[in-house]
Amino acid sequence: MAIALGIDLGTTNSCAAVATPTGVEFILGSRAERVHPSIVAFPGSGGVVVGADAKRYRLTEPMNVIHSAKRFIGQNIRAPLVQLALTGIRYKVTEGPNQQPIVTVRDRRMTMPEISSHVLLYLKRCAERQLGNAISDAVITVPANFTDAQRTATKEAGRLAGLNVARLINEPTAAALAYGFGRNQDQLICVFDFGGGTFDVSILRINGEVFEVLASDGDFFLGGDDLDRALAEVLAAECSRHLNFDPRQSPVLMMKLMMGAEAIKCHLSENDAAEGEIDGIDLPNGQVGSLPFSLTRQQFEELIGGYINRTIEVTKQVIQQAGLQASSISDILCVGGSTRIPSVRQRLAEVFRREPNISINPDEVVAQGAAIQAGSLSGSIIAGSGMATRDAVVTQAHSPLLYGGAKPQTALVRPVLLDVNPSTLAIQTAGGYAERLLDKNAPIPIERSRVFTTARDNQTRVEIDCCRGESRRYSENEPLGKLILEELPAKPRGDLKIEVSFRVDADGILHVRAADVESGQRQEAALHVIGAPAEQA
Amino acid sequence: MSSRTDVLLWARRITGMKKAAAHQLLEIPADAGADVAQEAFHKIARMAHPDLHRGLEAEDVELITTAYAMIANAYQSIRTQRMATSRMPKIEASDGASPPPGPVPVTPSGASGVATGVAGAMSSKALIYYRKAELCLKRGDLRGAMLQLKMAIGTDPGSTFLRTALHEVEAEVRKGP
Repeated sequence: MAIALGIDLGTTNSCAAVATPTGVEFILGSRAERVHPSIVAFPGSGGVVVGADAKRYRLTEPMNVIHSAKRFIGQNIRAPLVQLALTGIRYKVTEGPNQQPIVTVRDRRMTMPEISSHVLLYLKRCAERQLGNAISDAVITVPANFTDAQRTATKEAGRLAGLNVARLINEPTAAALAYGFGRNQDQLICVFDFGGGTFDVSILRINGEVFEVLASDGDFFLGGDDLDRALAEVLAAECSRHLNFDPRQSPVLMMKLMMGAEAIKCHLSENDAAEGEIDGIDLPNGQVGSLPFSLTRQQFEELIGGYINRTIEVTKQVIQQAGLQASSISDILCVGGSTRIPSVRQRLAEVFRREPNISINPDEVVAQGAAIQAGSLSGSIIAGSGMATRDAVVTQAHSPLLYGGAKPQTALVRPVLLDVNPSTLAIQTAGGYAERLLDKNAPIPIERSRVFTTARDNQTRVEIDCCRGESRRYSENEPLGKLILEELPAKPRGDLKIEVSFRVDADGILHVRAADVESGQRQEAALHVIGAPAEQA
Repeated sequence: MSSRTDVLLWARRITGMKKAAAHQLLEIPADAGADVAQEAFHKIARMAHPDLHRGLEAEDVELITTAYAMIANAYQSIRTQRMATSRMPKIEASDGASPPPGPVPVTPSGASGVATGVAGAMSSKALIYYRKAELCLKRGDLRGAMLQLKMAIGTDPGSTFLRTALHEVEAEVRKGP
């Protein structure tokens, strides 16, 4: 029997689970932890170390420790935000073929999907050990606003880990599924997902077993990492002042300050002030110094205010895009570790005029949703080992799936996820305009085709440039790739009819086809995606 | 719950309705609101979402997916239409002033001066009006061109290209003789 694992592949942490009759069972690491750092270390002593055990190499060999790979997966390395993110990491990233980022560790060159596949493989092995069964399939979650290339690269990571990726689902949608499956209610909810590296907000209508995303938006370069970094910069400035030297030149020291910043951030979520010292700072004169710090919650909130404002602005926009008022939302789910910050919850309460729902575990709820979808798609709910069965959000989610299998006379209730296309997809037309084919927030899977024509007489070759983004100018959008139709019949301009079809599948991946309508011979071409790993044959 | 045969029959019927209007695909009245469309969409999703039919032969899965993708497109077009119309009165209500004119994109001179790549995106019906507009322009009949372009936009309201062309001709008219 095929067992399908639900995996939340996060920027800083990952989590995996399987659906069992009594609830989802979380996959545990060697120290019985449910949440696994998305860190892959290639220590000098050889081998590959993943998860909690990889953490300790951060201070000894920062160059050999790959973290936050999700920030670079499926990205064009030349994009400005990617370049900015590269300044915050200590391992070596260079430009590879097709403008994709390549990691070099100890003379090994690896693509980002290869790095992520180590995390997935680790989770797969932990699950196999725990369940005593081979794992073949997986549902992997991605940020709702992930692009085509990022999704394709994530699927590729799954394939490299030996997993058949049954489906990519969006993280906020997975959280909504964990929350709402089996409740049998009709309600509008908002999922506010502020994780380690990405931010998403989705508005959903839950109508029985149907989960319809009405609108979704976000920023895949906004997360807890950025807050840590802002604080680490402050600590670095303090360090220059107190100890009279600039730590920014030292990768080990900056890593230490980042870790210190993260600890201070977490402390301030529970307490009003943080005071202490960061020890073990190696000074240039060979001595070891320590950096005292003292920070109030209010000071920290001022420091990160800009980031929080951005999340709140996006949230307000999404409510508007859904055509709703904040008051019609009946529950607000806080997902992702960064929602533990009190000022985030307070700002959300101000927008919605009600307290956000904090009864769910923000680190585990996404994996729970993925596990439910994995169980539903594969049609297999396994008995489990009984080791770590505890839902991140209490539901009766699993009984409908179970009864479907055990009692054939009972109707099988499966969740139906109606997700959306995260941004407008268009092609370039004469004059440099972006002609829209598929709207942002259109339900997926979806297909739309439109007929275009040639601009010049006797034009026999047509280039169709595809882009994503909201601008009407092609050049202001993000290019996705190009499709070329050749050897078209020579005709006066406007006489040749070219049908361009955009289909976005249920994984959110775009497939473009173009064909010459009248000649009957449907010449078709496939999209060449920028930034993604080379196409698999 | 419908049997798989019912779903396949439904999918075959939908994929045969390539030219049908959105409301016909969703099987709702032409003047139905967004909420009616949403209920119809959920009903179809419960029956025909491709995730519910993964075990079928590849050919049948493709048929169901194609039909479902057409439904999704129909639902989206009704939803955006209804949302646009429900927003309109709000703009007019703002102290009675007319809404500010949209930004006029800068293009190479002349509405008919299309340059590279694929030309204006438009339906074939719109293309006929566009051709007439071009003829008017050649005669120097700007107002005639404007009328034809408006007709073209009427048949293909989504075309950015046509709107831009109209903006340019309007700008020419404003400059005047």
